[in-house]
Amino acid sequence: MVPSLATAALLRRPLRTFLTALGIAIAVGSTVVFLSLGEGLRQAFSQELSGVGPDLQVSFGDLQTSSFAEIPELPIAYADDLLAAAERYGIVNLVPILLHVRSGLSPGSAIVFQGLPADADVASIYVDFTIADGRQLAAEDEGAMVAVLGPQTAERLGLGVGETLRLNPRASFDVVGIGGGAGGLLDNSVLVPLTSLQAAIGVEDRVSFFVVEIVEASKANEVAAAIMADYPELGVQTRAELLEVIERGLAISDVVRLGISAIALIVGAIAVANTMLMSVFERTREFGVVRAVGARPRFLFGLVLLESVVLSLIGAAVGVALGFLGAWVVNLVSLDLIALEVAAVTPRLVAFAVAVAAGMGLLAGLLPAGRAARVPIAVALARE
Amino acid sequence: MLRGVLIARDLGKTYRAPSGDVVALAGFEHAFSEGAITAVVGPSGSGKSTLLNLLAGFDVPTTGGVWLDDLAVHQRSEAERASVRLRRFGFVFQSFNLVTVLTARQNVELPLGLAGAGPAQRRRRADDLLRRFGLAQRADHLPHRLSGGERQRVALARALANDPDVVFADEPTGALDSVTGREVAAALRDVAAEGRTVVLVTHDESLSSIADARLRLSDGRLAATEHVPSRRAAGGDQVTVREDVKALAPAAVPR
Repeated sequence: MVPSLATAALLRRPLRTFLTALGIAIAVGSTVVFLSLGEGLRQAFSQELSGVGPDLQVSFGDLQTSSFAEIPELPIAYADDLLAAAERYGIVNLVPILLHVRSGLSPGSAIVFQGLPADADVASIYVDFTIADGRQLAAEDEGAMVAVLGPQTAERLGLGVGETLRLNPRASFDVVGIGGGAGGLLDNSVLVPLTSLQAAIGVEDRVSFFVVEIVEASKANEVAAAIMADYPELGVQTRAELLEVIERGLAISDVVRLGISAIALIVGAIAVANTMLMSVFERTREFGVVRAVGARPRFLFGLVLLESVVLSLIGAAVGVALGFLGAWVVNLVSLDLIALEVAAVTPRLVAFAVAVAAGMGLLAGLLPAGRAARVPIAVALARE
Repeated sequence: MLRGVLIARDLGKTYRAPSGDVVALAGFEHAFSEGAITAVVGPSGSGKSTLLNLLAGFDVPTTGGVWLDDLAVHQRSEAERASVRLRRFGFVFQSFNLVTVLTARQNVELPLGLAGAGPAQRRRRADDLLRRFGLAQRADHLPHRLSGGERQRVALARALANDPDVVFADEPTGALDSVTGREVAAALRDVAAEGRTVVLVTHDESLSSIADARLRLSDGRLAATEHVPSRRAAGGDQVTVREDVKALAPAAVPR
């Protein structure tokens, strides 16, 4: 009987139910899309960082300010100093990396160049790195104007092996290889020999940072402390710290996006409350009858609350579907612009959205349910 | 077979209104006979509806009270009064008051479900009652597809679902033609013959003739108590007359 009563209540005014559910669907859908942006970035970064082999990253000064600085600040001489004491620090491998962004007219046309020693083992830094076409960089390429393109960059620029990529009026690189899809930022980079890039942009003997592989990954904190004790001017980040910095940034953006979503959800909840109040009002007589034959106030309270939650969950189901659609559209755009899928609708996001909708239904149903439970029987029965 | 005794003592209800208090009912005293139909008659505005609301526990009195055996119904909470209505009272209304979105069977099952009966038990009991009132073929119809007489018989079946001690009938034939009205009246006689107390509220003098006793209300007061001799004779010793119950009442009723 309870299912019959609840279903009939929702089908009593189908258009009203539909519109209310649509309101919730849009609120939940926009929440899913907003939050999926964080999930996508989180996935991209964790993929990127799990693809980074080294345990430490050494920069000149603070990581955040220096690694991505326009002009690289880290003198490459430090590499020799550190390698000289490799045994003491427990360093296995050290690769200097020079990052350079060729900015374009739009964010979509920006290209990230990564200069690294041509004889460096790329797979030790980016463990998932493969070659789909052409070849990898080799030791004899040092100083030569050759490049290996990440697959998304290659696709975006429409370049293949044997073609030429221009960095600036003085420097162009010949494409010798195209990477396979390893995921993450590497797919959007251009790998070039370190000295070639240094020459092309006119920074001798300086790089952005070193990536360092150590003997015992669990000793990362100790090694970082030891290096910084010897060279206070250097900044050394462990992978965990790096992840923490990124996670903190994402968490802040989560709060902002959740705040925006909350507005939509509150509007949706008010719509549900309004619909349920109307519905309770319309069914005053029915509720009077049910109370007269012996239903406790609690029964009607529960019934209306159930209807409210069911209405919200129907909206949420449609909303999640809309969320998937929205995230897909966002990714179409973001792939085109920055060659990254920034939106990801994860299972935990879906669970969160459904839980929020259920909670919203519960909250929105409280007032109407209270009204239903307090229907005065004598008055209700006298109504036409 | 005797069941619960329904007693009203000094029952009164005063409504507060900005223009002054309105006395809807005052000083009503009566012990309703078991196994008999007691008609409450009087013109509209005489306090019939107020009396029904108080007896049924829909509303609480401002003076006096209602006892079912030694249970002071008027002193119980909303939820407890609901429980009394569910298990010991049954209701038949002028406008049927079936739940429009439930089928005939579901309407009869409603009080059973509220009382916690399982699906199989509910269905069996509901089908038995629908059969008794000749509605076996109409069980799956929604109320709007039933005739007035059929709807009132569904209401009767629903009223009897939890085997109540007291059945309240508020103008049960008011919306029916005379033939179906007589059927419903006969059904009420059967209900009383099962030992239940039937409280019949009506302004229809011809319907009140089926009652064993008539309580005439006027201006919110009990103006007269009339017995219908033929009924008392026909009812035999199953009918407990008013005076007998009244003699028993003070011991049973804590004041």
